[in-house]
Amino acid sequence: MSSLWRQYMTYNKYSQIAARALRAGLKEDARVQAEKRGFTALRFQEWENGQPGEQVWIDKPKDDGRAKPAV
Amino acid sequence: MAFRLAARALPRRATPLAALARRGYAEGGPSDKIKLSMVLPHQTIFSSTEVTQVNLPAVTGDMGVLANHLSTIEPLRPGVLEVIESAGQSKKWFVSSGFATVHPDNTMTINIIEGAPLEDFSAEAVRSNLAEAQRVASGNGSEEEKAEARIEVDVYEALQASLR
Repeated sequence: MSSLWRQYMTYNKYSQIAARALRAGLKEDARVQAEKRGFTALRFQEWENGQPGEQVWIDKPKDDGRAKPAV
Repeated sequence: MAFRLAARALPRRATPLAALARRGYAEGGPSDKIKLSMVLPHQTIFSSTEVTQVNLPAVTGDMGVLANHLSTIEPLRPGVLEVIESAGQSKKWFVSSGFATVHPDNTMTINIIEGAPLEDFSAEAVRSNLAEAQRVASGNGSEEEKAEARIEVDVYEALQASLR
């Protein structure tokens, strides 16, 4: 019963979906704190022959002027 | 028989040296508590804390872990995790998924992806989210979307049962 998701996704994705569902069931103030944890952003860059490619964002976070990127 | 008589004949007064040798290290000997470490990615709930019993919602079924339990690695399903620190003192969390590992040296590690105490949940939000997820799961989206909705249905049904 519990492994029907196995044909469509990895455990990683399953655990993220279950976590997302749990967060959506929380009370208002706890949920606001928790939703921040659910956000994942990725930025990657392909290199070829020592030359960098374009930096690509997946789910770019909104720039509210507070945070500074590491790179 | 002869051995027993000989043992009784030994002096009853224990010398300090003998007492030290008999006592050994503080952690030796059987304990009635298991050392629990329970962590979320963003928070440590227990860090090598001695507890009496842990009730886990394992994928293979609900299980209780006491001191000196067999070593095992259990994936967790969405459900209620209960930690009984001492008689009468128990805390419950609802967890989404993770792993519980019982080590051979009477310690236990629980890694949880997401979890919260039961009082942090809203029954109304759970009810409406469950209805929404059931609608998608029985709708006519793609198989992947329906699989995702089925996972959410599992979580909300378990949550609803635990909040009752």
